[in-house]
Amino acid sequence: MKNRKNSVFDGILGDNIILSSLMVISPIIICGDSVKNALSLIYAFNSMTFISLIIGSFVPKKIPYTIRIIIYAVISSLVCIPVRWFAVEFYPDSIHRIGIYYPLLAVNSLIVLQSEAKFYRMKKGRMIISLVFYIIGFDLVMLFTGAVREFFAYGTILSKVADINTTVSGLGMPFGGFIFLGLMCGVYRKIRSSVRSGQTESEE
Amino acid sequence: MFIINDIIALLAANLILTQALGTSTMFIAASGRKNLIRTACVITLFTTVASAFTYFVDILMPSSVRVYATLICYTLIIGVLYAFFLTVLYFFGREKFNAYKKYIHISAFNCAVMGTLFTISEKAAADDSLRNTVTYFLKGLEAGAGFIVASLFLAAAFKKLNSEKVPASFRGYPAMLIYLGIISMAVYALK
Repeated sequence: MKNRKNSVFDGILGDNIILSSLMVISPIIICGDSVKNALSLIYAFNSMTFISLIIGSFVPKKIPYTIRIIIYAVISSLVCIPVRWFAVEFYPDSIHRIGIYYPLLAVNSLIVLQSEAKFYRMKKGRMIISLVFYIIGFDLVMLFTGAVREFFAYGTILSKVADINTTVSGLGMPFGGFIFLGLMCGVYRKIRSSVRSGQTESEE
Repeated sequence: MFIINDIIALLAANLILTQALGTSTMFIAASGRKNLIRTACVITLFTTVASAFTYFVDILMPSSVRVYATLICYTLIIGVLYAFFLTVLYFFGREKFNAYKKYIHISAFNCAVMGTLFTISEKAAADDSLRNTVTYFLKGLEAGAGFIVASLFLAAAFKKLNSEKVPASFRGYPAMLIYLGIISMAVYALK
């Protein structure tokens, strides 16, 4: 039971895919400069990753590794079609905002390379719960990054002007994304090590 | 002067420093200097050869299905190249296969390769004069060269960014991200 609890929360703090493993960071650095972009990326990432990983879990392990990787990539490319179609029908702006990063989310390393190591060794039920928390971990970081960068770079929140005297326009640029993510990653590690050392002390 | 202009153009078109494409892959490969450079070289191989093939996809695909079918076609191209390169490596000998296969595994499906293909395709769609195999091939090579340049930048500072002088929380990945951000800022200024 304890293991299950650990695995469930790992995706949010212990093993956050962005801050711990630095996966799927290109869209965050380039497109994650506003809450609207963040929401578009969240929709695309959540739907593509969840559906692709669930379908991919049915691929037999007897198939050679290389072929399995290709199959995972093809599955996620196929999943991208309805996800994109839905976005075109209901949120057409999101496609323009994300640009080429939309299809790139389909071949993110969580789906193609890390799926076997992180998820496919688990039983289905546990895998789904773990996957949901990994996705929530991504969403939280994405939203936070989008909100902070939008507020400080453009002085707005959800495109509404906020009461801020000084803006740092560089934070909306790619280099601002790199630096902000690096700082956030450092702070995250500090928090994680503090939480872990606290847990160890309480166990002793 | 021409060489300086070329270097500046190469840096300004660098997909890692300007579009962050392939950053995750770079960090996966960043367990050592050798790994970084070798991965960058294999990614260059993928971007160059795959770009040449995507030209045929771009000219043969009907515009009505382009939006939805491009990704699948590009994925299949990379998939075929992935299997092909591993097969070729296998025939070079068991030892080399075991030593180098990981670079092919890392380099095949990632934002660096796929992003390069989409970027080239977008540029060609905007400018018809770019729509030929040679340009696609050269643009793929240029993107790969940019990846190697970024890897060299990272490899040069690798030891210091991982040294004990850097605070433990920022050692490694966070320091590398901030470092890449500073380099990216410098490249932005060159534009």
